[in-house]
This record gives sequence, structure tokens and C-alpha cells, in this order.
Amino acid sequence: MLGGLQPRQLLTQLLNFALVLSTAFMLWKGLSVATDSPSPIVVVLSGSMEPAFQRGDLLFLWNRGQDTQVGEIVVYNVKGKDIPIVHRVVRRYGGGNEPLQLLTKGDNNLADDTELYARGQDYLTRSTDIIGSVIGYVPFVGYVTILLCEHPWLKTVLLGLMGVMVVLQRE
Amino acid sequence: MAATKIAVYSVPDLKNTTDDALPNYLTSLKFKQSHFLTDVRLALGYSAVVIAAITFYADYKLGWDKTKYWTFWAVLLYFTLNGALTFWIWGVEKGKVFAGEVDHPSVGRKSLSIASSVAKYTPIYNITVEYTNAEGETKTLRLSSPFTRWFDNDGFFVARPFQQWLASEIPLIGQVDPKNKGGDAKAAGSANGKSEVAVPVEQEKYDTPKKTTSSDAAPTGTKSRRGKRG
Repeated sequence: MLGGLQPRQLLTQLLNFALVLSTAFMLWKGLSVATDSPSPIVVVLSGSMEPAFQRGDLLFLWNRGQDTQVGEIVVYNVKGKDIPIVHRVVRRYGGGNEPLQLLTKGDNNLADDTELYARGQDYLTRSTDIIGSVIGYVPFVGYVTILLCEHPWLKTVLLGLMGVMVVLQRE
Repeated sequence: MAATKIAVYSVPDLKNTTDDALPNYLTSLKFKQSHFLTDVRLALGYSAVVIAAITFYADYKLGWDKTKYWTFWAVLLYFTLNGALTFWIWGVEKGKVFAGEVDHPSVGRKSLSIASSVAKYTPIYNITVEYTNAEGETKTLRLSSPFTRWFDNDGFFVARPFQQWLASEIPLIGQVDPKNKGGDAKAAGSANGKSEVAVPVEQEKYDTPKKTTSSDAAPTGTKSRRGKRG
């Protein structure tokens, strides 16, 4: 099917596919720029914040305004671990002229997060560890992501299907 | 290309096959196709894609904090280019499937562009033709024809009736391709065996392989279906 196309037609078809991918990526980056967060939408992976958030909830983050208060729910990254964690701020130190430092805890956990932090780390630094505060959520829709994470081959299948469809189909 | 069988009830299939056949026919008549519109579209589109690719690579290599500032400009530029591309497709190309010019002894140097469109679920091919007439003025023609005119019942494209339609409706094409103009192609073709003799031979390429069966079947099938439509 592709063999019969003129070079310009082939380039146009490929362009359509490339534009679908790049537009999705750039929308994501645009959202990152707007919220000032490297990852403005995250999916809850564990039940540690129940009953506030369930596994599979989709969270929207906002990272402008660095004066995080006790009670706010934040998403943070721990150095050396690449899974972001969603927990509530239970204590804050510093602020003002000193760098703001935070202690977090999962609503459904018995102890605070000191165990989860990197070795030797007793608190989070607001400006470097936190990737955003939760400002909104949609229940359950993130389950697709959990499925994709737990079965990585699904990603390949999905991407492949998308590619084949866009390249072979016109209109 | 035109020899592939398509689903006769799929309007996009009908349109795309016909769109592909149009430049084939016109270039066989020594029309020189201009690819300017497509080239601009490709340039705009691929520039945007390259910007996204660079952003992706930089983000992958350097991380968010180091690329934050430039990502802002990349996003802005990407969507500007994307907007320009959308404008180009909707505002400038407007469905053009052919743009070019011909330098023919019988008409001189003339330009021609054809834009095509279909209404959803309506198997009628609409074209907007812009061409320069004998006086050198730009004329615009709007033509419509049911696809049944050049697709047989099996879904094969039949070149001859399509070419006859264009040649008889568009004066410029009729002048360049007089054999198809009258609708009586064979008689005209054998009557004046001058320089144009080469053209019908070339057109054979675009006919379907089942030429004998399909072109025989086409007129009857076309007629009965159009009759029912009223």
C-alpha cells in the first residue's frame, strides 16, 4: 500500500503521524510550563491516601506559589526513586528567608514519611523535592495508566496500532 | 495505484482514488505540476516536528529544571507553526489536488488549479477549477459529478469517462486533450493521428487491468444506478 505512493504523499502521511505524537507531547510540555511542574498530571498508584484518593485517581498539580501550608496534599519525588508519592503535609519548618522544609504523611498510613525519604533525609525541601500541590482530581480514569504501567507491552501495542492507523488511513 | 479495488460505499475511498487520478491524467497531458503548496505544508509541519523532537531529547537528557526556560519558547514556537500549518491547509490549500501549468501549441502557456471536496456520505465529487482562458483572464468553474460516472460496480476506477468529463467540462483541458472532449474518444483519436496519438497510449497505464470487462460494465451500471436516483 505504501509502495504505490508518491514521495510527497508518503511524507504527508508520515507527517500526520508525527504531528499526532508531537502535538500530544507539546501539549503536555505546555501544561508543564503553565503549572511550572515537570509532571502536571499524575495517577495515584497506592492506597496510602484513602479515603481521599483511591488507586487510579487522576490528580492535577499546580507548582506556582511556593508557600505550602500544613494540610495541603503534595506530590514529591525522592532522590534515587523515580515514583512520585502523593501525601499530605503535616509539619513545616523554615519559610520566609530560610528554605521551606516539609514533613509529609499518608492519611491511611500509621507513621509519617521519614521512612520513605532518602537515607539520612528527615524532611522534604519545598523548592527541589516537591513537583506540585494537588488542585483537582478525576476519580478512576487513571486506571488505564496503571494497566499500562503493569503491562508495559500494552504501550507498544497501543503505539503501534496508532501508527498503523494514521499512516494507512486517510481522513 | 488506480488499479486497486475500493469499497464503492466509502466516500473517502472514492474521493482519494479520484484525487490521485487527477494529477496522473493532467501530467500525462503535459501539464507541469507545481508542488509549492505541498512543499510549504511539509516544511511547516516538519519544522514543528523537529522542534518537538529537540524538546523531547533535551528533556530526556537534561531534565526539567535545566530545560524549563527553553521549553516555554519551544512550546510557543511549536503551536505557532502548527497554527500556520492549519491556516495553510484550510485557508490557502483549500483542498487543492492539482496546481500547475501547461505550455501547449494549441493554447499557449496557461495555468490550472483544481480543488476537490465531498459532502459527508454524499457520493458526489465537487471540484473548483481555476484556469486562464484564451483571453488570459482567470476563470473559476464549479463542477459536480456522481462518482458512479468513473467507478464501476466492482469498485474499479475507469479512467476514460473521468477524463472525458474533465475534458468536456473544462475548456482548457478540452483544448489540450480534444479526443476526450467530444465523449467519442475512439473516433476522434483515430481521425487525427498527429502529436496527440501518444497520449491515449500513455493513458492506458491508468486504466484498470480488467479493462475489457470493467469498461464494458461501467456504462450500464452507471446508467441504471443514476436512473434510480432520479
